[in-house]
Amino acid sequence: MKISKHQLGIVFFILIGVVPFFGALLYAVLYSFGIVGILNEGFTFLFWKSVFHSGDFVKSLGYSMSIALVSVILSVGGALWLAINFTRNFQSRFFSFIIYLPLAIPGIVTAFFTFQLLSKGGLFSRIFHRLGWIESASGFPDLVNDTYAIGIVLAFITLVLPFFLLLFLSVYKNENIEQLSSLAKSLGANSTQVIRRIIVPILLKKTWIVIVLYFIFLLGSYEVPLILGQEHPQMLSVLIIREIKQYDLTKISEGYAIAVMYTIMVSLAALILFLPKKKISHET
Amino acid sequence: MDKSLNTLKYTYLLIFFAGFIIAGSSCSNESPDIQNQLLGKDWEYIAEESEGTTVNFMMWQGSPVINNYINNYLIPEVRKRFNIDLRISGGQGAEIVQLVMGEKQAGISNGEIDMVWINGETFFQLRKIKGLWGPFVDKLPNAQYIDFEDQYINTDFQQPVNYMECPWSIGQFAMVYDTSKIVSPPSNLRELASYVRKYPGTFTISNDFTGMTLLKSFLAELGGGTNSLNGPFNAEKYNDLSSQLWHYINSNKQYFWKKGTTFPKEQSKVSQLFANGELYIDYGFGEGGIEEKVKSGLYPKSTRVYPWDNGTIKNTNYLGILSNSPNKAGAMQVINFMISPEAQFEKSHADGMDANPVIDINRLPVEWQDSFNSASGRKYGPALRDLENYAFPEPAPEYMIRLYDDFRKKVIEN
Repeated sequence: MKISKHQLGIVFFILIGVVPFFGALLYAVLYSFGIVGILNEGFTFLFWKSVFHSGDFVKSLGYSMSIALVSVILSVGGALWLAINFTRNFQSRFFSFIIYLPLAIPGIVTAFFTFQLLSKGGLFSRIFHRLGWIESASGFPDLVNDTYAIGIVLAFITLVLPFFLLLFLSVYKNENIEQLSSLAKSLGANSTQVIRRIIVPILLKKTWIVIVLYFIFLLGSYEVPLILGQEHPQMLSVLIIREIKQYDLTKISEGYAIAVMYTIMVSLAALILFLPKKKISHET
Repeated sequence: MDKSLNTLKYTYLLIFFAGFIIAGSSCSNESPDIQNQLLGKDWEYIAEESEGTTVNFMMWQGSPVINNYINNYLIPEVRKRFNIDLRISGGQGAEIVQLVMGEKQAGISNGEIDMVWINGETFFQLRKIKGLWGPFVDKLPNAQYIDFEDQYINTDFQQPVNYMECPWSIGQFAMVYDTSKIVSPPSNLRELASYVRKYPGTFTISNDFTGMTLLKSFLAELGGGTNSLNGPFNAEKYNDLSSQLWHYINSNKQYFWKKGTTFPKEQSKVSQLFANGELYIDYGFGEGGIEEKVKSGLYPKSTRVYPWDNGTIKNTNYLGILSNSPNKAGAMQVINFMISPEAQFEKSHADGMDANPVIDINRLPVEWQDSFNSASGRKYGPALRDLENYAFPEPAPEYMIRLYDDFRKKVIEN
């Protein structure tokens, strides 16, 4: 039997991507039902019941979704605004360096940076204090580990906005938006109409899948909310790790139950996102 | 096409199961019997076995002075004396327990780690999953210097130690304040309530081991005395006292840091907040643990330690050997050296690791007694004996488990 290069690729993909994923999922499912785990005593619904009963998952899901949604909307909005208004400027070397730079910085560094700048004992607080705008450290507004997750959202924007900006700039170029705009103008459209009817719809239509993927990515991010979040509610990954690593060893399975629910949810979202596209590509 | 797809399917299945078989086969590695027979051997045999081996030590690496002691004293010494290659990996509490649970789950009889640095909560968890090997401590020659009659040494979180873990250092939890910010710090719950009203936002409770230890002090005070939590876990007592405690915290927390809407995840955060002046009150193990922080300039020189009226927890931390350790003899040799007079003396230097010796000075040869007695003490922190009258032992581990859970449910999520 001959194996083609294509098939070999699939084998490697399955070996590296699919097997570990399903292996881990299977393990988590077994753990959540008490089938594996050295302190578990066999099959039980107990852990799932207690997860649903406590409401932690729903709360954390709602919290994570709000943060991810707000961050994505602000990043996309900001990137659109910059891309449309400063298209020319970003062709200069200096500006493109400025937007590429944040892409090279890992999330954990951004999180620490945000903390150092925005905490009550941070750089801004010290500057404000020196300038006499606040009397003591506690007079500085609550921007990290805060109730409204301002710190997390700011860190996410720092991480994600430059990426969207680059994406929009390249779509702008590739889709000949410049020419389309001048065509529309010559047909009598004013610049607001051009932006609302041509530029924004094209940019969003070409990139919406990436936007949704980034939403999912932010939904599951760990280190930023770990450093900048508060103790309750927590974002999903932080909650899951906390449950899995908790002091009461008999409750570890609850963490796995949450992890399973989250995985199923994200997998479904990914399926919905990619399935219809496949059909369209078959038709064409 | 269909055929090749089918063969592909089988290939995947095969690979899938092969993975399981490989994972499963690591269960049956060498017999651990030889290792377990060690308990019947004499020290000479153990010492000979340990010569030239590698010992993997998992410990908390969060303190520069402790790391310095380990890297620049312990590792070179055990290499010089016993030709043992001591390797450190970072991890504490839950990480150790998770590692052992994972290895047990996979049936690995030759684990990655030989010895661990633990305290009572981890001891309790490791005993629960049968992760510790022993009893080995009575085999160690230097154990003669340890006073096993001392209740703070022979009992860990109300559990008899029974030579399953070897004491390494002893210390007491203490309160810390900045004398330049407050004149008389609160030393009971009533005073704390009026303190936070006077200085709102300058006190908090960390949601970790250290914070829970503070809560145990509060719980004991509500119980009406230093030793009110002694003895086995009493659910009725806990429910009664803890509901008073949550009521107390919830009715005062609006004056805590961030108005009590959130609490720091861990003690290091509290230290940071104290260092940058947001908090005026701090607390910690090792008699408050301020010596190094003041000397390194993190804390102001005006920082002092003070006792809590009803007492704080005094406890010992220990060294254990894991049940699936591949080199138990080596671990015993290293642990024996770690409780030797020279290693304990080195560890006690106030401008070094600054950890109280766990060995009883009176049992040592005279020249070592002299060295210990003439050593210069701490400049900022108190000596362990200064707090002697304010000490009580760790209550049963269930108190800790319940406090963790309830502090989250009844305070943080409230």
